[in-house]
Amino acid sequence: MLVPLSWLKEYVDITLTTKGLGEKLTEVGLGCEKIIKTSDDTIFELEITPNRSDCLSIIGVAREVAAIENKKIKLPHLRQGFGGQAKLRKILPLTIKTDFKINPRFTGIIITGIKVGESPKWLKDKLVKVNQRSINNIVDITNYVMLELGNPLHTFDYNKIAGHIMTVSQAKGGEKFESVDGVIYHLPKDAVIISDKEKVIDLCGIKGGKNSGTFGETKNIFIRVPVEIPNLTRRTSQTLGLRSEASSIFERGVNTGGTIDTLKRAVDLVLEIAGGEIASELYDIKSEDFKPWKLKLRIERLNEILGIEIADKKVLGILETLNLSPVLKNNIIETTIPTYRNDLKIEEDLIEEVARIYGYNNFPKTMPIGEIPTKQIPYFKDYKLDEKVKNILTASGFSEIYTYSLIGEKELPQGINSQNLLRVDNPVSRDFEYLRPTLKINLIKALSQNKSNFEKINLFELGKVYLGKNLDEAKEAYFLSGITNNKNFFEVKGLLEAIFKDLGIKMDPTKYIEILSEGIFFELNYSEILKNINLNKTFKPLPKYPPIVEDLSIIAGENIMTSDLISGIKNQSSIIANVSLLDQFEDSRTFHIVYQDENRNLTGEEVARIRSKILKSLQAKFHAELKG
Amino acid sequence: MEEELMQIKNSAVSMIIEATDQKELEEIKLQFLGRSGKLTLTLKEIVKVPVERRAAVGQLANEVKRVIEETIKNHESRIKNQESKTKIEKIDVTNPGIKPDIGRLHPLTQVLYEVVDIFKQIGFQVADGPEIETDHYNFEVLNIHKDHPARDTQQTLYLDTRGSKSDPGKIILRTHGSNMQGRIMETTRPPVRAIYPGKVFRYEQVDVSHGFEFWQLEGLAVDKNLTLTDLFGTMSYVIKEFFGLDTKVKFVSHNFPFTEPSAETYMSCTVCKGKGCSFCKHSGWVEILGCGMIHPNVLKAVGYDSQKVSGFAWGMGFSRMVTLKYQMDDLRLLTNPDLRILEQF
Repeated sequence: MLVPLSWLKEYVDITLTTKGLGEKLTEVGLGCEKIIKTSDDTIFELEITPNRSDCLSIIGVAREVAAIENKKIKLPHLRQGFGGQAKLRKILPLTIKTDFKINPRFTGIIITGIKVGESPKWLKDKLVKVNQRSINNIVDITNYVMLELGNPLHTFDYNKIAGHIMTVSQAKGGEKFESVDGVIYHLPKDAVIISDKEKVIDLCGIKGGKNSGTFGETKNIFIRVPVEIPNLTRRTSQTLGLRSEASSIFERGVNTGGTIDTLKRAVDLVLEIAGGEIASELYDIKSEDFKPWKLKLRIERLNEILGIEIADKKVLGILETLNLSPVLKNNIIETTIPTYRNDLKIEEDLIEEVARIYGYNNFPKTMPIGEIPTKQIPYFKDYKLDEKVKNILTASGFSEIYTYSLIGEKELPQGINSQNLLRVDNPVSRDFEYLRPTLKINLIKALSQNKSNFEKINLFELGKVYLGKNLDEAKEAYFLSGITNNKNFFEVKGLLEAIFKDLGIKMDPTKYIEILSEGIFFELNYSEILKNINLNKTFKPLPKYPPIVEDLSIIAGENIMTSDLISGIKNQSSIIANVSLLDQFEDSRTFHIVYQDENRNLTGEEVARIRSKILKSLQAKFHAELKG
Repeated sequence: MEEELMQIKNSAVSMIIEATDQKELEEIKLQFLGRSGKLTLTLKEIVKVPVERRAAVGQLANEVKRVIEETIKNHESRIKNQESKTKIEKIDVTNPGIKPDIGRLHPLTQVLYEVVDIFKQIGFQVADGPEIETDHYNFEVLNIHKDHPARDTQQTLYLDTRGSKSDPGKIILRTHGSNMQGRIMETTRPPVRAIYPGKVFRYEQVDVSHGFEFWQLEGLAVDKNLTLTDLFGTMSYVIKEFFGLDTKVKFVSHNFPFTEPSAETYMSCTVCKGKGCSFCKHSGWVEILGCGMIHPNVLKAVGYDSQKVSGFAWGMGFSRMVTLKYQMDDLRLLTNPDLRILEQF
């Protein structure tokens, strides 16, 4: 929203500096994005939040400035009184058929004998300042009045309304409609439109039709100031990808009580600039009276939510500058909400009004004093676990990366069919269409990306993958995956073993490791793995008696697994505390065996007995022999 | 003779143990094992030993020789070590150190741990929830009904519902971490203090400050008597703890459908410390988070009585916190796996 300072000053006195006003506007909620200095003016570029349709007008912004400056606002003088049909010299007929469900208020009037021409300089200048093109005096007046007051309006060439009938209805879908600016649209179903006897002449709340617009030859006009339904305007505008200043206002909710004054202002200007005279009754077809409403604010509640006590006088003063007519009785303030403030519906809305004008930065800062919650919250996540795991990985040389969850079909490796992946209906591009079922694709990509700068590359990611063929089966899981071109299979296995040990997981990580042409890759379902952790660590006293240690070289067939030999040895006696593979050469494997008893010294004879038991069992089970 | 041999052994061993350098060891070796060394000379006398004892004495002599040789050998390595230790002063210490083979944690993770710790100190627990979300938790519970203009500011990625029982348009990738507000509050009673960091998704074209995937850290607190000043205090505390105590914080009024009153929060620019620079578009301030008192409609939707409890909630651009902290000028750096970036942190 562009707001020229000179225009604001027509309605309110400003004492703040330009910069100070910009900061204050931001503080009260009209985010001042930019202050543009022109040769003769200063333009504020404001970001208006969706709740404040009133501030999509200069008067709306001026009201906020008045509250900031604690000044009264000067509204434009309205001459027009709509004296009634008796005074009219000429009456032009018009039949209006409307439906309150889709058009709660339809205000309008006919003016005859106007002269369409160029706008006066003051009007053109105003429009140029807010980046609007001057078209002709009538169109410019409607744009000007909308900008000034915030109620959109549209003028029809009365002579082009076939049969002098206007019917408000909803499109069946597919109707052709040419907007005033000459673009052809196919209307979506349920778009609110006005038709005359023959054709669609208006796409309500969004754009007028070319077939009924005001051009050079226009003599008689019908000015319509409507209240449209936000949802309906919004849906049509979105479907067509067609936004206008009017539609932005309607979809946020227009000032329902502002149609008459808007029409008066427009008529004043038309008569002044384009001449002519009123040629119809005032049409104001409405579903209800659209009166201001009452809203209560309990002083106690105000203090409770804000955390400070603001003096009653100050609170009343703030509400007064906002034109909310506050009346204090028994610690309750009753306000009357003008129809342009349709964002004020509940007590909390009033609390915010007081707070923002009081100034957020005038509040003290406190910390919550209540009890600290002690029960575990739902969806609890223990980041300490991640930290443990990541520390082992980084200590082993792996660096952490984060990659996108969304991947493209062409990146999928063989064996992964896009049909089996969760898919985004409206991807930002084809490269980010599917939810990743594995971290492998991105890790391989990351490895090759680094190849030009690094020889040794070790990367890992702890991130979500998205499992399931369709949304009914969809499941999110954290995967822990890594890739290295610099460590061998057993180093990676040892790393995973170390992680498992730290988490108290009794599992063999072999199956999680894969040898790829790019390097060694591992991937495990971290969410699943975490179900098996045991972080309880209890101290075991150091052995009081020394162990006997020996290395046995065993000759065994190639197809016999080391893990089987180790458990084969270990199972032979409870005093075998540990067995590990020391060396491997051709068909011989050397095992390092630690014999230990917690309660006594072992003798050579005892160990010899166990040794022969081991050898016997290895011989029987695996045809393995002691290397001699 | 045997006694003599034992004496030779003992004196040799004690001398060897006390030797301090290689030269001394060489001398001891010569003194005992050399051509005219004590042991050699003694062995020449062996012929004088009666024949019946000669074999035993011979064996003992060999044993003595072996012990001396072995002791010398052991102590040679001890002395070598000692010598090399004193030699270290001769190397060029200005040579660069040898880089240990350790990896780096992603800056996002480092910042996350830091922020989680700050919140933990003031009683907040961490939660983690789904990214594939229903329209209900992402929007409806939060007072953002269908056709609400606020939906424009959170352009949504919709998931393909084919082959499932879900209605088209109802399952989305969450557009903000606030989806956890409803999920958490629905299943627990106040008092509750929670933060929920995580990835969020938007239908947005990528540029230096926008992405279709980025991280947020949102949170809430609900209790009896929580106030706007508590919200301001908590946010200021966290920002100052994280960015430094000299950081300035200011709040401005804003509108979010799920909070009332609402505020946008700014902090002094990390690059220029508030003087104004290109990083902060010369304003001296950068936007860091949105927050507010939880809207009564939201409290009602999760079954809380807004007259009995109140709460506040906030959402901070977590990716942005990371880029602000390290003065990174492009959000995309966080998803770039280039080790030249990662090794800086």
